[in-house]
Amino acid sequence: MTSIHKQAANQSQKLMIFVLSMALYGLATLFSELIPKFQVGIVEFSVEYFLFIPLTLAMLFDPMSAALGAATGELVFSEIMLGQFGGLGEVEKFITVTIGVYVAGRLVRDPANRTMVGAAAIGGTAIQLFLGMVVDILKVQLAVDDFEAVAGLPESVFATEGFAFLNDLLFSGILFCLLPTLYLVPKLHGKIEPLLGMEPRTTQTALEPLGAKAILGCAAAFVVAAVTQLLAKSGMSLIDWEADWAESSTSIAVAMVAAAVVVVAVVLAMRKRTEQIPSERG
Amino acid sequence: MKMVDKLSENILDKFSMDFLRNQVLKNAYGNNDTLVAAMDPRILIAWYLFFGLVPWFVNSLPFLLGCFVLVTITTALAHVAGLVLFLFGLGVFSQTGYLLVVTWLFGGDASAIAPLLVLTLKVATVSLASVTVFSGMDPDKLSQGLMWFGCPERLSFSISYAYRMLPILMEEFQSVLLSYRLRGNPPEHDTLGGKIRYLIYQVRIIVYAFYPLMLNTAKRSRTTVEVLEIKGYRYAAVNKEVKRLKLSVLRVTNNDLLFLSVSFLWVAVTILISTLI
Repeated sequence: MTSIHKQAANQSQKLMIFVLSMALYGLATLFSELIPKFQVGIVEFSVEYFLFIPLTLAMLFDPMSAALGAATGELVFSEIMLGQFGGLGEVEKFITVTIGVYVAGRLVRDPANRTMVGAAAIGGTAIQLFLGMVVDILKVQLAVDDFEAVAGLPESVFATEGFAFLNDLLFSGILFCLLPTLYLVPKLHGKIEPLLGMEPRTTQTALEPLGAKAILGCAAAFVVAAVTQLLAKSGMSLIDWEADWAESSTSIAVAMVAAAVVVVAVVLAMRKRTEQIPSERG
Repeated sequence: MKMVDKLSENILDKFSMDFLRNQVLKNAYGNNDTLVAAMDPRILIAWYLFFGLVPWFVNSLPFLLGCFVLVTITTALAHVAGLVLFLFGLGVFSQTGYLLVVTWLFGGDASAIAPLLVLTLKVATVSLASVTVFSGMDPDKLSQGLMWFGCPERLSFSISYAYRMLPILMEEFQSVLLSYRLRGNPPEHDTLGGKIRYLIYQVRIIVYAFYPLMLNTAKRSRTTVEVLEIKGYRYAAVNKEVKRLKLSVLRVTNNDLLFLSVSFLWVAVTILISTLI
């Protein structure tokens, strides 16, 4: 075999990477969720960011599986297991984490090259944080009605979100993404791949550099993330609609209550009967 | 000074690994006998879809208050672990309380309070609904319910896997961390500078601990996947017959219907009140 193997993992190896990334990042996010935040003035020191784990894995293995695994791990371990599932907001987090990790993983062609690893690590983190910030601003603007009318609120949202972005990038980004990734990637390179039965990534075996297609895909995914938040905007018309019939007819509401009472009565009756049947038999 | 004291105390003592593990396990498996845990997962998920989405879109105060009271009752019924409730409180405050403080800094006045209160009520209702459903339910039931709604097989696999593997993973992480600590030489932490160095030392050890942990988990995930392959997982994941067989244990009982109809009655009453006002 003289042909050069591209680093395309087969299906079960992809599943292995998925499971690995999910378990590790899930564990880490569980801790970060539990460790209290710590503020000095308005600078927040949070250990919120264990993104170095999926970043490392995405640079060594198939980036897509590692990215999806990390996002799923965060969702399952820290959101669902702790009962903090936030509905629509999680879609946005899932997608931004996936994009950030995936892009960082694709940027690295040779894990032995430290400059490349460092740039990709901080770049991926910046992408994830920036997308999160944009969506956050949209979210607050849409959730609070007559947003502009509240004095001081619009400026404060832009200021806090922008500040949180810089703070996260400079503090968590460097301490918990850049430095650990720079430490772990060269150390694990060549050691961890054989454990999953794969060849280490080198410049020859790396996937093609990021093409227009991948970037378009990321942009489309981000639009989806934003749209889940913009659903709140379509909710605005829902409010109007509700306000409409709220004024026009109390009778509809009365009818609803009546229907609900009937339903409860019917269910209670059904319950009684099913309870009686076994006792009759017995 | 005091803050640094408190921080290191918090991280090192109160949030010991054992405490975390116990809380998470209690949350996952500790309350199988509650009313919420006994319910059909499909009904609960449908219920959650209502209380997780609708409050975002409605601004009528009686309705929001009514929903909030209802989900508070269900959360009490679900016997949720204390840590989760604490995190919930922290989350609600950090999301809106912080914003309120900054609004004041930027010259907003009392008029800023009302919309923020409504926002807080929405956030609290939605999070409590999710605490009820995702914390109160048995993980296996939850993954079955999600599967019934056509969620990707991988998600329900991840949930079951996570709940089973987490205790093992935590234990392993703890032992790796302890072995690093045994071999390490922590800096003095009497002065403020020393305390900061000590904190940095702790964080560094946590990062170092991930190196052996990654290698070990890589081995384990290979074993897991190979076992799954032996059992024909990837074939079974897309097979309709297998799915039908797995989900045949789900059954909607009268209790579920009662729960749904009482919730419906409650919501209808709150809507009636909001129309009357």
